[in-house]
Amino acid sequence: MPSPASRSPPLLLLVPFLLLLLFSAASAWKKDEFRNCNQTPFCKRARGRKAHSVPSLSTADISISDGAVVARLLPSQPLRQATDGDDPESDTVPPRPLLLRISVYQGGVLRLHIDEDASAPRRRFQVPDVLLPDLDDRRLWLSRLSSPAAGSSSFYLAEGFEAVLVHDPFQIQVRRKGSGEPVLSFNSHGLFDFEQLRAKKNDDEDWEERFRGHTDTRPHGPQSISFDISFHGADFVYGIPEHASTSLALRPTSGPGVEFSEPYRLFNLDVFEYLDDSPFGLYGSIPFMLSHGARSSSGFFWLNAAEMQIDVLGPGWDDPAAPAKDRIDTVWMSEAGVVDAFFFVGHEPKDVLRQYTGITGTPAMPQEFAVAYHQCRWNYRDEEDVAAVDAGFDEHDIPYDVLWLDIEHTDGKRYFTWDRVLFPNPQEMQGKLAAKGRHMVTIVDPHIKRDDSFYIHKEASERGYYVKDASGKDFDGWCWPGSSSYLDVLNPEIREWWAEKFSFENYVGSTPSLYIWNDMNEPSVFNGPEISMPRDAIHFGDVEHRELHNAYGYYFHMATSNGLLKRGNGKDRPFVLSRAFFAGSQRYGAVWTGDNTADWDHLRASVPMILTLGLTGMTFSGADVGGFFGNPEPELLVRWYQLGAYYPFFRAHAHQDTKRREPWLFGERNTALIREAVHVRYSLLPYYYTLFREASVSGIPVMRPLWLEFPADKETYNNGEAFMVGPSLLVQGIYEERQKSVSVYLPAGQSWYNLRNGVSYAGGVSHKLEVSEDSIPTFQRAGTIIPRKDRFRRSSTQMVNDPYTLVIALNGSFAAEGELYVDDGKTYDFEQGAYIHRRFIFADLKLTSVNIHPANLGGKFPSDCVIERIVLLGLPSGAKKAVIEPGNREANVELGPLTLRGGSSPDAITVRKPNVHIADDWTLRIL
Amino acid sequence: MGACLRISLTISCLLLIWISASASIPSRESLGIAPQDLSYYKSDVIKCKDGSKKFTKEQLNDEFCDCPDGTDEPGTSACPQGKFYCPNVGHIPLTTFSSRVNDGICDCCDGSDEYNGNVSCPNTCWEAGKVAREKLQKKIATFQNGVTIRKQEVEKAKQAFAKDEAELSKLRSEEKILKELVQKLKEQKERIEKAEEEERKKREEEERRLKEAERKANESKNAPEESSHDITDQAPEKLSELHNQDAMEDHHDSAVEDKNDYTTGTEISDNQVVGKVANDHDDTIAKSGHEADGRSDGSSFSHVEKQHVVEAQDNAVSKANTDYPGTEEELSSHVAEQGQVSDSTEGLSREELGRLVASRWTRENAAEGNDEVNMAKEGLEHDEDIREENHDGYISDSDEDHKFEDDDLEDDQDAEFGEDHEEPTDLTVSGSSSWLDKIQQTVNNVLQAFNFFRRPVNISEAATVRKEYDDFSSELSKIQSRISRLNEKLKYDFGKDREFYSFYDRCFESKQNKYTYKVCPFKKASQVEGHSSTQLGHWDKFDESYRVMLFSNGDRCWNGPDRSLKVRLRCGLKNELVDIDEPSRCEYVAILSTPALCLEEKIKELQQKLEDMNTGQPSAHDEL
Repeated sequence: MPSPASRSPPLLLLVPFLLLLLFSAASAWKKDEFRNCNQTPFCKRARGRKAHSVPSLSTADISISDGAVVARLLPSQPLRQATDGDDPESDTVPPRPLLLRISVYQGGVLRLHIDEDASAPRRRFQVPDVLLPDLDDRRLWLSRLSSPAAGSSSFYLAEGFEAVLVHDPFQIQVRRKGSGEPVLSFNSHGLFDFEQLRAKKNDDEDWEERFRGHTDTRPHGPQSISFDISFHGADFVYGIPEHASTSLALRPTSGPGVEFSEPYRLFNLDVFEYLDDSPFGLYGSIPFMLSHGARSSSGFFWLNAAEMQIDVLGPGWDDPAAPAKDRIDTVWMSEAGVVDAFFFVGHEPKDVLRQYTGITGTPAMPQEFAVAYHQCRWNYRDEEDVAAVDAGFDEHDIPYDVLWLDIEHTDGKRYFTWDRVLFPNPQEMQGKLAAKGRHMVTIVDPHIKRDDSFYIHKEASERGYYVKDASGKDFDGWCWPGSSSYLDVLNPEIREWWAEKFSFENYVGSTPSLYIWNDMNEPSVFNGPEISMPRDAIHFGDVEHRELHNAYGYYFHMATSNGLLKRGNGKDRPFVLSRAFFAGSQRYGAVWTGDNTADWDHLRASVPMILTLGLTGMTFSGADVGGFFGNPEPELLVRWYQLGAYYPFFRAHAHQDTKRREPWLFGERNTALIREAVHVRYSLLPYYYTLFREASVSGIPVMRPLWLEFPADKETYNNGEAFMVGPSLLVQGIYEERQKSVSVYLPAGQSWYNLRNGVSYAGGVSHKLEVSEDSIPTFQRAGTIIPRKDRFRRSSTQMVNDPYTLVIALNGSFAAEGELYVDDGKTYDFEQGAYIHRRFIFADLKLTSVNIHPANLGGKFPSDCVIERIVLLGLPSGAKKAVIEPGNREANVELGPLTLRGGSSPDAITVRKPNVHIADDWTLRIL
Repeated sequence: MGACLRISLTISCLLLIWISASASIPSRESLGIAPQDLSYYKSDVIKCKDGSKKFTKEQLNDEFCDCPDGTDEPGTSACPQGKFYCPNVGHIPLTTFSSRVNDGICDCCDGSDEYNGNVSCPNTCWEAGKVAREKLQKKIATFQNGVTIRKQEVEKAKQAFAKDEAELSKLRSEEKILKELVQKLKEQKERIEKAEEEERKKREEEERRLKEAERKANESKNAPEESSHDITDQAPEKLSELHNQDAMEDHHDSAVEDKNDYTTGTEISDNQVVGKVANDHDDTIAKSGHEADGRSDGSSFSHVEKQHVVEAQDNAVSKANTDYPGTEEELSSHVAEQGQVSDSTEGLSREELGRLVASRWTRENAAEGNDEVNMAKEGLEHDEDIREENHDGYISDSDEDHKFEDDDLEDDQDAEFGEDHEEPTDLTVSGSSSWLDKIQQTVNNVLQAFNFFRRPVNISEAATVRKEYDDFSSELSKIQSRISRLNEKLKYDFGKDREFYSFYDRCFESKQNKYTYKVCPFKKASQVEGHSSTQLGHWDKFDESYRVMLFSNGDRCWNGPDRSLKVRLRCGLKNELVDIDEPSRCEYVAILSTPALCLEEKIKELQQKLEDMNTGQPSAHDEL
């Protein structure tokens, strides 16, 4: 029998052991916590199928109805039989026919809709409020079906494109008219499977799924959908965020030469310390894929908010002997919902983006301050800390526009409240920032503390506004505040109620300079399956959480954004940063890539991740500069600022356990380097704002993969290290410690000017360049004009009246073009035409400012801003002066520096003080 | 009409004068230029200060940046790297960044940075200057008084240092003498003991013989009766006694000795283990007792009492989790054994799971409040703290001068030594030598008094030798520990005037909310909350030429760095810890005001500044 004395030592040993256990547990990605495909029955089933192994469907009763093609899909064989036992849940009852509807929209968009008929035991969920409300107005009224060959019907899709419906086995193909060259095809490999809803046959049947102690009751049984999509003429496919990857193009997940890989998973998850390269799903999901090849670009979007898994099949997956050429096959699998899919025919990549944002919306025009630099940390502790950080920026002459407060500013994680001790005077604090033209952002998450004394909880529970658990009670999960419930933001009424909470009266302590950050809206539930909400939780309209999971954060983002819009009486553009997102989130604000890590690989992965977000509509995105977890070495931090200064959304953020990393804490040299990086962004603000305008009109992202600008240059197709900012700037990141030189590929067709020294480089070649610590390589493309503001201020607010600099990079024929868009930076007056939009055209030694503001729009934005300096790159020497018309004024031409930094050499031809107004028409001739 | 005109003219003239006097916008040529720099801009062609270029007078402040270093645009915002000088007459002149010029925000109290008319900045220099001057005057006064105090402190430090050095050298000579004495006494003692030993053996043998004789005599007398009574019980014993008697007698003494000094190996180790285990156990009990007093056990009890059963079970599970970490299977089986059902399995209640996952981001523990692991850790730390505090032995009394006090555990016993030898009056060399002479005399007396040739050994004399030996060797070890402590102290850098000498035995405290911060220069710094104490750092060094004290390698932060503390020193009349803060997690910053930082040369600088402020006072203001 052990004596008490001999029992105690283990207890002592236990303490350090336990500490160790918790410590090590706290520093690694929890792979086991998340389901892989094999643990996900629908994915396992669908992935196990071989081409043409699924019982095929045939099309019947094809007709045109209401301007769309409609048909019924029937089993080709009389009885559906379980094949090779791959579908243990398959029913022997003959399936009901599926209803098919194909419609066509302006601009080369085909929509395929497949659902069960009305006799289904339950209505399957269709994601509401994602497609633009006016989409139906742009539908083309189909009137006629042709029959190009026996067993198929074809119809018009767009100029030069048609769609073909193959009857048996059912297949859809989008192809070029005339040549018949296919662009996209659906079910050409016969992998289309639609698990129809059915009643539970007997109570013994076990539909439940279990994962790590969580039980999903799955009351409606299996209901997954899967199909294959082929992208023809494609060299690569891109898109379907969000995954961390160092590759821009999607790597194959299956097929010859691919060792085991998971499919790309689209399931919004709060992944702790995510890896920098993994197909596992992160915070947001956009089921939109683009393909690009030398001959064709196309896109495919599946509007479905349930868990999705997507396989990109390597060439030869179906026939290793004869790998497909110029074609990429993909398999799409979803747990629930319907087929509501869109095919975009391109054929230029920018066309595909226009087509996609044509149905899900273009990015909202941000406020100008939001395009500037944001300073964040978990947490700026109190008002004193806020004041000190604010003063630190002034003391070191580093501009910033927004200071952020994370969860600790609240009273016990009750959002819309303030910690009375730490933030006794929030309005005064915001007022002090606002006096310097700065703004503040506070965090508001969707989990509501279950505390009866908290008004939000009280109202929400009384009104029944929470998501319910499978038993019908308010779902109770664990998050920052402890026991929490989650608003059912699927319900428009609840979203309206939520939006009201942002009014100045309701949000006590808020001021007009305060904006909002939505975090944890995947939703993150600490004690839920995969750190999220159980799939059998119930939303408004008896919708299961599994059916809308990926869109939950989207609705929350939408509600918050509408709240800020209401707060400002519809006049003030909202700024809401969200972590979770779905197709269409671009209409409601910015996103970032979540809790990244302070290491070089995460710095590298940030570029493909942000480019992918941009390609799928979410142009206003960025990664935490410096890395959220861990402490970056000063060199990494500096490199991150130098790269982050070009992210569309430029914010530094850090975990609460990290050392303070305000820019001036790493010695004078590093402070100067970071100041310079931030200054670069501020000087480019006019250019960025112009690009945001372009994005809000056309959906073309601010930060672009090289191939978006150079679709014919194959070298660029999988370049995830460099990127374009707009059409004119190329930026190459530095992703290695103490890197001495870097190889930069400059796309073909143009020459490029190094923005550090004005040296010109040939395009179509990789250049080995020396790496300096003071900047990362940036180049201006020949033939472009970039507007800058080279005077520096505390924040963008004080730059409004500052004069411009134009940097003109001439191409081989001494010509260049560029644009400038200016509005008030805050309101929606631009919708009534209150903006300046100029095109600058340089040709024949003459610079002309052309008004491209549509005359019929009316409205006017007054500005006294002038151009104080024009820098000309690539102009042969000999220019003496410039003559400005109207007025026949003269301006001096001399050699000047490319940038106004100490030590920069005067190596560019500069027009001194032309002082022409940006709002006016004028010409400037170089003599 | 004419009068009217004249009046209005006068008014406008006055107005003009007033405007020119008060608005006082410098001309374009001097805008933003510091007076000492004006001559640089005198010539017609001016060089950029970085040598990159030249510019003409027309290009000075013409709103176009010609010199990238900003030389040509001191008065405008055109050059990003430029500097703008505001005279701030009535207050301190300010050199600010060009980015502040005409940005709509009043930065200079004279408003000279905002001259483009977009915003009007009132001249607040006189008011602000008055406040600043008063503040500066106060500061100068503080410095002046502080300098005096500092001088006294430095003088004291000088004496204290001399005293400590003297003491050290005295102690060293004492040590040397004592060592010899102790050695002599030891030899003496050993000889006595040897003699005693021999004597004892003899005596015992004598006694034994006597007893033997007696026994034999008795035996022959009483044998029949005894055997009839106790034969069964006593016979074996007696037999063995009989058998072993000789041997026993021979080895009796040595056996006893053996038992005392060299007990067999196994016995020793067993004993030690048992002892250690028992100690550990006691520690554990003490710790868990402490915890119970603190939070964790108490709270779990209250849970059982106050909350419904499920939560109590959750708690039990949580406890099980902390007590027996292991694989989740083990945990769940543990739960299963107890027949507990929670709606989430894997051994964790839903709440536990939530906390556990949250803790990844917060690094806080998963259990309720401050969980048990933390508590256990704190408990351990606390125990260590107590030990260490005792060891380091500082006192928190800050401002008073106080004499040295021994705090080492071993020194507690020898207070008399301290008293005898640490009074400053006792520190003269003659005093010490007389004391030494005295003891030397005593020892010699003892040694001489002892007569080695007298047998039997005089017991009282032997005892005297033993006592003297014990006394002197403990005296010696005290002296040695005192020497090592003095050595330890004297190796530190106490500043260029040893102005921080008195800090060695001091701690400075500051209470902030629930914490008490305790800073002990040259030793350590800690944060005390109730019974638990966290090490913020051990003394590292002075930094920034004695303006900063660094403490590093404190307790490790949960998944973070070792704690550290930076104490910024500034001139003040008292030694006072005025502010403490944790700007970065586990990196603390404090401000200590102390006369040690009141440097004389700084006064001149401050006075010059004040003079500048006073001479800059605008005469126009007086007229108004």
